[in-house]
Amino acid sequence: MTGMDWKVFGHEWAAEILAVHAAQDTLRHAYLFTGPPGIGRRTLALRFAQAINCLTPTAPGLPCRACRTCRQIESQQFPDLSILKAEGGSREIKIDQVRTLQRTLMLAPYAARYRVGLLLDFQNANESAQNAMLKTLEEAPTRVILLATTDAQENLLPTILSRCEIMRLRPLPLDRAAAALMDEAHIEAAEARRLAHLSGGRVGYALQLHANPKQLDKRQALLEQALSLVQANRRTRFAYVEVLTKDKEGPREAVRQALEVWISLWRDVMLCASGAQTPLVNVDSEAALRALARQVEVSQARALAARLTLALDQLDGNVNPRLLAETLLLDWP
Amino acid sequence: MKVTVPQQQLAHGLSVVSRAVSPRNTLPVLANILIATDEGRLRLSATNLELGITCWINARVDEEGSTTMPARTFADLVNALPNDQVSMTLNAINQTLTVRCGSSTTDIKGIDAQEFPPMPVPDPNDGVTVRVGDFKEMIQQVAFAASTDDVRPVLTGVLVTINGTDMTMAATDGFRVSIRKATIDNLRGYSASAIIPARALTELARIATEPEGLISMTVPAGRGQVIFHMKDVELVSQLIDGNFPDYKAIVPRSFKTRTILSTAALLKACKQAEIIAREGTNVARLNINPSDIAAPGHIEVSAQSEQTGSSEAMVDATVDGVPLLIAFNVKFLREVLEIIKTPNVVIETNAANSPGMVRPVGDETFTHVIMPMHLG
Repeated sequence: MTGMDWKVFGHEWAAEILAVHAAQDTLRHAYLFTGPPGIGRRTLALRFAQAINCLTPTAPGLPCRACRTCRQIESQQFPDLSILKAEGGSREIKIDQVRTLQRTLMLAPYAARYRVGLLLDFQNANESAQNAMLKTLEEAPTRVILLATTDAQENLLPTILSRCEIMRLRPLPLDRAAAALMDEAHIEAAEARRLAHLSGGRVGYALQLHANPKQLDKRQALLEQALSLVQANRRTRFAYVEVLTKDKEGPREAVRQALEVWISLWRDVMLCASGAQTPLVNVDSEAALRALARQVEVSQARALAARLTLALDQLDGNVNPRLLAETLLLDWP
Repeated sequence: MKVTVPQQQLAHGLSVVSRAVSPRNTLPVLANILIATDEGRLRLSATNLELGITCWINARVDEEGSTTMPARTFADLVNALPNDQVSMTLNAINQTLTVRCGSSTTDIKGIDAQEFPPMPVPDPNDGVTVRVGDFKEMIQQVAFAASTDDVRPVLTGVLVTINGTDMTMAATDGFRVSIRKATIDNLRGYSASAIIPARALTELARIATEPEGLISMTVPAGRGQVIFHMKDVELVSQLIDGNFPDYKAIVPRSFKTRTILSTAALLKACKQAEIIAREGTNVARLNINPSDIAAPGHIEVSAQSEQTGSSEAMVDATVDGVPLLIAFNVKFLREVLEIIKTPNVVIETNAANSPGMVRPVGDETFTHVIMPMHLG
């Protein structure tokens, strides 16, 4: 079981398939890794790039993760690793970037066996950029492997999907995620459990939260503020939005972060109110959530969560973030 | 590392390699120039992973070592120094290079040389050797015909084939083909075929300054690279993967009309036509007339543009065969005439819708084929 040794939490099955491909040299020319952010799509893709290029593999299909090539791929600083992602403050991958990548891919690999094109969050590519990539995805030059990641395969053109081997990565069960956090990152049991819940089983995101205690604190603060806003009067709510949108990261980003917390809050309330056994995200504030759940109907919590999810899309669609937050809060009980 | 080099040589070396520096790359080390001691000389290297240039300069090496310096900062500094000996000392712990020259001292922070992508080392017993002047001429006659459009990447390259004592370079952008053959000394029976980016060859022609020097070309097996080695300079280029179109099939074998005329006169007529044609679709018509009772053989080069006007020029020519009216992209015609060195040129044509061939008279090594345009 080489896949076990790839150290990609929860995706051993995918690692196993890829390891066999690497070991037997039966590589597809393009792979697509789908799953929510922070789940380990890029980690798995990079590990695969290591597996096919490692100079001193420990076993066939198992990268050593110690040689120069492996270390450079790990830090995404490898001459034969071309990364395509949204750049320069834009949230979109543009057609010019695709053209530049195609130019690079036409050249023979510099030092490695395979030139790897890593297309990160390819759903951010606009339609013409995705279409420009089609020819390369269909007939990749020899010794070129394309690895794409996306949040959900529905967000890519069907013509892209049909040209890739798709690996659907799923979040880990929470207890396994917690165990992975304890074993690998040496996080204490209670903290590991909390992180597992907060990340919804996305180990990469959990590790990121763990590495940035500030982000974790901010999230906690947002949650507590949100709980206090329930039952608060309109004046308090509007005053809160005013403070929120003055965040130094800009109003849009601030509202985005708040929205993500609010969604998790109302989802938890909905789960509590319905009496479901599904694990909560905000496991720390379980008491407060259960208290809230007694005051609202399941349908109301559900409607709020759905409205907030829609708001997240609207935020990307260039809606005024402050207005959006204010209207949303008007609907709260 | 502790080395001393003359400022002028260092400045020259940096200007040679700096063309391969890529400041906007995901790898920060590629914005740097590798500086390393190498068997009593100082080696400067830069690469953008497509094109790599190495230059050696004579130096007094007191202590071996290597580092990489930010290209822009280092080159600007060296250019500002007085024409004197420059001494460079590296503090390996914090990768800081102390540059002393005359009364000035500068510390520059660099990146560890280990981070720099390894440059391939050519096998001296491999490859072929050509005179720099000849090789440069071949590049100049072929590289311009390569495509500058990335849609078909193979066409941005020049196909170089070595077979026995024949070396052939060919480039095409889909509208014209330029082919140059040469006979070389190939004692080892080396053979190779590679698509080299035209940019790399143009760069090579720029940095190869000694026409009497020798240049060796090696295509190491399985590496996807070509290495050009000269006395003090080395250029490495990644090859383009792919199949080059079968250009030989495009070269016509027989002709109905053969026109011989003065290169300079035709070039002048084309330049004149281009002034008018460039405003429109770049079309120039060539009206080829064999000699008859009324007039000796001649070509009439004309161009028309709705906005600018029209132009006509007559060039005397020796025409064998049937009269023909054919249109070409005048830019292509001018570009090929500019690189033909012989006093006379021959244009061979069949029909208005089949390609025309341009060759120097008395030189069998160069062939250029241009697709015709619609007469409109």
